[in-house]
Amino acid sequence: MNWKRMSATIALIFGAMAFTPLFVGGADHLMHILIMCLIWAVVASCWDLIMGFAGIFSFGQVAFFVIGAYASAIFSIRFGIDPVFAMPMAGMVSAALGVLVGLPCLRLKGAYVALVTFAVHMILEPFLKSGMGRAMGTGGSRGILTIPPMELFGITFSADNKIAVFYAALVLAVVCSVIIMLVIRSFWGTAFLAIKDSEDFASSLGVSAFKYKLAVFALTSFLTGLAGGFYGHYVGMLSTRMLGIDLFVMLMIMLVIGGIGQFPGAILGAIMTVAINESLAPLGSYRPLILGAMVVVLVLLLPDGIIGLLRKFAPGKTEGGQTVAVESGIQ
Amino acid sequence: MLEYFDVFISGLTNGSVYALMAVGLTLVYGVSRAFNFAYGSFFSLGGYIAWVFMMFLGLRGGYIMVFILSIPLLMGFGYFTEKLIVAPLRKRSDWEVKVMMITLGLALFMDNGYQVIFGPRMKSLPPMMEGAMAVGDTFIANQDIMIFVLSITGILAFRWVLNNTRIGMAVRAVAQNPAGAQIVGIPKDRIFAATFGISTVMVGAGGILLAQKYFVSPMGGWDILVKSWVITAFGGMGSIRGGLYAAFILGMLEAFVGYWFGLNWVLFALFGVLLTTLAIRPQGLMGKWG
Repeated sequence: MNWKRMSATIALIFGAMAFTPLFVGGADHLMHILIMCLIWAVVASCWDLIMGFAGIFSFGQVAFFVIGAYASAIFSIRFGIDPVFAMPMAGMVSAALGVLVGLPCLRLKGAYVALVTFAVHMILEPFLKSGMGRAMGTGGSRGILTIPPMELFGITFSADNKIAVFYAALVLAVVCSVIIMLVIRSFWGTAFLAIKDSEDFASSLGVSAFKYKLAVFALTSFLTGLAGGFYGHYVGMLSTRMLGIDLFVMLMIMLVIGGIGQFPGAILGAIMTVAINESLAPLGSYRPLILGAMVVVLVLLLPDGIIGLLRKFAPGKTEGGQTVAVESGIQ
Repeated sequence: MLEYFDVFISGLTNGSVYALMAVGLTLVYGVSRAFNFAYGSFFSLGGYIAWVFMMFLGLRGGYIMVFILSIPLLMGFGYFTEKLIVAPLRKRSDWEVKVMMITLGLALFMDNGYQVIFGPRMKSLPPMMEGAMAVGDTFIANQDIMIFVLSITGILAFRWVLNNTRIGMAVRAVAQNPAGAQIVGIPKDRIFAATFGISTVMVGAGGILLAQKYFVSPMGGWDILVKSWVITAFGGMGSIRGGLYAAFILGMLEAFVGYWFGLNWVLFALFGVLLTTLAIRPQGLMGKWG
């Protein structure tokens, strides 16, 4: 996908989203769904950047999201830090942990990276519930119940004021998308493409795979942690239930629907997945069952996601199929 | 001192089953580079199959009958799972991550399927053998001995098949060089599916063996997935002997950490071992591949 198309798609999606409060501003639940769409769009885009473009099989994105949410809540509750500052600080904590995890595992190959990052996800819940976690203020299995909302320019961004939260989330999503887009189009993006095509050849040309991978690990952990902090201050309470496998799989569906390595696709995927998930809510305990089946079916049927499907019907004017394939990093 | 002996026996028993399951995991990754996230759900599948046969259908003939009936079932399940959802992905360059995703989806599907069919309550199975054997001042449960003997037999049988039979040689050939194996006429795709089936049998048998000591629960497989991973990474991907050593070392570690510090610390200890291994010796104790 070329630069123009990418920015146009992003502008179109977020532009359309910006007007939705005009129509559904009164409906509290719908506003909540829209806010969650934006937050998950950030997380899914970060995951796409790290997995689709950098080629790192990180399975720890939900863990970094939860780490960010808890860190920001703890900073603001225990140390009385203003949430506006606590959120980027939580992002830093996530980024630091991301680097810590990244250091040993980025030298490893595909499945190992998935293994280590998913292990981080798996041990996070027992850690948050353990005595050590409780001493840090995670509240054990009860979770954190009273997180102060963010306040800026005299506006309180709490669950009672969803329209304000929505626009704050929109700003966050736009900023993150622009950052991700810049990374993809920068020297980094080219380096990743080179590394993915042939790591040996790229490194013989002086492209340090390790350095770039660590940098993108830190960046995505930061943005994901920031989004987690935002989520915590918005919802006002946190528990380890977020670490359940269904949320993880839901994020994966976003990526599958959007297409791995098809950047603005992840945003579309997030919006569609949240909508599908909400429409499945009446099914109760059958919902995770259907989500699981959806992954299996979608991975088989939508290899390039919705963006790949769109491209089939509306190919770009100046680029043939080959250039598109090379640019998006899919051979 | 005597309680240490009990802890030691528990580490030895669990370690032997972990070894069986880790060998299954390393087999599939070593041969076809597919990483199976649903491995833990296959573990629960073994337990549930045994429960259905013994408690629900009231099958007589004990565990021998259960094994005779469930091994072909597990084998077929694994074989067709590979054929249906893993094999079609292989054509693409990003198939490795797609396999991880699709098996993770399958795991969610299966776990929640168990919950819908069998309910969230844990199921228990009768012990394989009653009684205990006296060793000096203490006793070893016959059940533990049976579990140990059966899993070690399983691993040895598998090793024998791999080293001495035509199909075993075909599997090794595909693992070493898939393209070359295909040139000399080995049906590569069928070998991929067969290894997937064999690994399903191994983890399912592990599920049956451990179900009588612990319980079968819908989400119980995740622990097993993590443990099999850590053992595989610690022992080295693709090395059966490394996996065997690693399983016993980590089985002991688990038993003693659980005894001294409590069960909550077992996962942290395993994670610590994993990170240390990968930082110092990424290929594991005796790894052959990456």
